[in-house]
Amino acid sequence: MDVGVAVKAALDLNVLRSNPDGTVAVENIPLVISEYDRNAVYEARRIADSTGGRVIIYSFLTWWPADRKEKDFENVIREALALGGDEAYVVVDPTVSGSEPRFTAKVLASLIKKYGSPSLVLTGEASTDMTSSSIAPYLAATLGYTVVTFARSLKVSNGGIVVERDVEDYIETVRASLPAVVSVTGEINSPRLPTLLQIRKAFRKPLVKTSLSELGLSPMLPKYSDYRLVTVKRKRVVLEDGSPEELVDKLVSYLVEEGVLKR
Amino acid sequence: MRVLAVSNSGKYYGDLEGFISRLDGVEEAILVTSDTPGGNFSKIYRVGDVYGDLLARILGEVGEPDLVVGIHTRKVLEAVAYLAGARDMPIVTEVVGLEGMTVTRNILSGRGTAKYSLSPPAALTIAPGKFSGQLSLGPPEVMELGEKPSTVVVDRSEKSRTGVDIESAEIVVGVGRGFKEKDDLKLAFELAEALGGEVGCSRPIAADYKWLDEDRWIGISGKKLRGKLYIAVGISGAPQHIMAANDVKVIVAINKDKNAPIFEYADYGIVGDLYQILPILTRKVRELRGV
Ligand SMILES: Cc1cc2nc3c(=O)[nH]c(=O)nc-3n(C[C@H](O)[C@H](O)[C@H](O)COP(=O)(O)OP(=O)(O)OC[C@H]3O[C@@H](n4cnc5c(N)ncnc54)[C@H](O)[C@@H]3O)c2cc1C
Repeated sequence: MDVGVAVKAALDLNVLRSNPDGTVAVENIPLVISEYDRNAVYEARRIADSTGGRVIIYSFLTWWPADRKEKDFENVIREALALGGDEAYVVVDPTVSGSEPRFTAKVLASLIKKYGSPSLVLTGEASTDMTSSSIAPYLAATLGYTVVTFARSLKVSNGGIVVERDVEDYIETVRASLPAVVSVTGEINSPRLPTLLQIRKAFRKPLVKTSLSELGLSPMLPKYSDYRLVTVKRKRVVLEDGSPEELVDKLVSYLVEEGVLKR
Repeated sequence: MRVLAVSNSGKYYGDLEGFISRLDGVEEAILVTSDTPGGNFSKIYRVGDVYGDLLARILGEVGEPDLVVGIHTRKVLEAVAYLAGARDMPIVTEVVGLEGMTVTRNILSGRGTAKYSLSPPAALTIAPGKFSGQLSLGPPEVMELGEKPSTVVVDRSEKSRTGVDIESAEIVVGVGRGFKEKDDLKLAFELAEALGGEVGCSRPIAADYKWLDEDRWIGISGKKLRGKLYIAVGISGAPQHIMAANDVKVIVAINKDKNAPIFEYADYGIVGDLYQILPILTRKVRELRGV
């Protein structure tokens, strides 16, 4: 069975930058693979191997400007291919300057329908940058698939799927029919770092780029505005010189001074 | 304006009513819930469980709403986002603020915010605890809906729970992957006890290693802290973890890597080995507090 994975190239939270007015300097922030998409690719590989099928990567470059983001984006897709993808179909389009779940899901649905239509599509539980967790259900509805989100385990059986899903205070085991879109949690597996050989092989796997117009879609005007960084106001006093006793003494006196530690 | 509200628990009716009462010109607010009916909505549909395909069918009965507002729990989020897809509506999740028809949500795992201007029809989920209030559209007529969703629940087990409420604890000691084994966590429990606080943890400690129950999991996908002191021990400082402690008065970090991001988010940090530092800290706190 072929398994699709929707992979996002997300803003790297380790190198966030802002403009002088406090808005997020999207142009200058590198992209990395969205953390839990690695789990999704890994899980897709496992299922494709056990059922005999391909792993197809789908992605849409949503951050701008496309020409400056394209290199990072390609690295993300190559990483997904190294982690277990067989081929990738992606949209890179210079008319794109941001997206929202409704549009992203539409683009992904068009890619999926045009290239392979796998009956199981996986996503991560949330992207690391926008964390909306809404792509899987939105995509499912758009494709006319069933949906299960926050999977901690996933089994294909009797033409359907059985999923243990994390719903806050409970773990529910659910049965759903295929075709389906499933979002996976970070706990579903532990992806290994790709080996050098896997990375080298990834460069020989098909990566097909297309545009919105080729998919018959018109660009969307993003309705999100005012991306802004939260200011983290902390004192950042770092104690490193001295014996452990001395360091702890200093810390304790600071905490007493702050009034958070009382005799 | 017609609003469809969605919840899977009675404890969120106040959040939904609060949000909806801040919208202009709401004539009708219909609640779909899988819990005991309540709140001053115009009408209530009671369902066995909240799923997207069920919501879509309910719309067939009640007509198209201008806004769908769900509480941001995993079940409701999935259902509302699915409904949005089925109706080709925009979806905005985990909304924390509302001004006119512009909503605010957190992005970048808590490191940022973004605004979105709604033009109906649209769907959204609201973060619990950000809105509260009451509507005056009721008393509602309650209808039972027997229809079955296409997803079948075959088993349901409650997660094991410690029963601590770290969200309301004044002092929390957080443990992360810097601890080598489960047994070593006692170093943190001893410190927490000396401080009169509770122990919390990073996601992997609860969800991957299962060393602690998930009600101790701190982060954007876990519990939020708002007490006066958080001591993060052997925690690297991923935004998904530490931004959930942004409302804490004083944050302390203990980490052996002086380049760990956690120090950027801390008021006081000790660069050192937790196995050396914690026993000394616990002893000094005990001396100070006479416990
Ligand atoms: C969508 C999404 C949601 C997430 N939600 C959450 C969430 O809600 N909560 C959460 O916690 N995480 C969450 N995460 C995961 C998060 O990104 C990090 O992976 C996680 O918080 C790391 O946990 P950690 O700090 O315990 O481990 P690590 O990152 O491995 O850090 C361990 C730290 O311990 C230090 N250390 C090691 N040995 C010692 C020693 N002897 N003494 C002192 N220090 C030592 C190391 O220097 C290191 O900094 C989420 C991720 C994603 C993508």
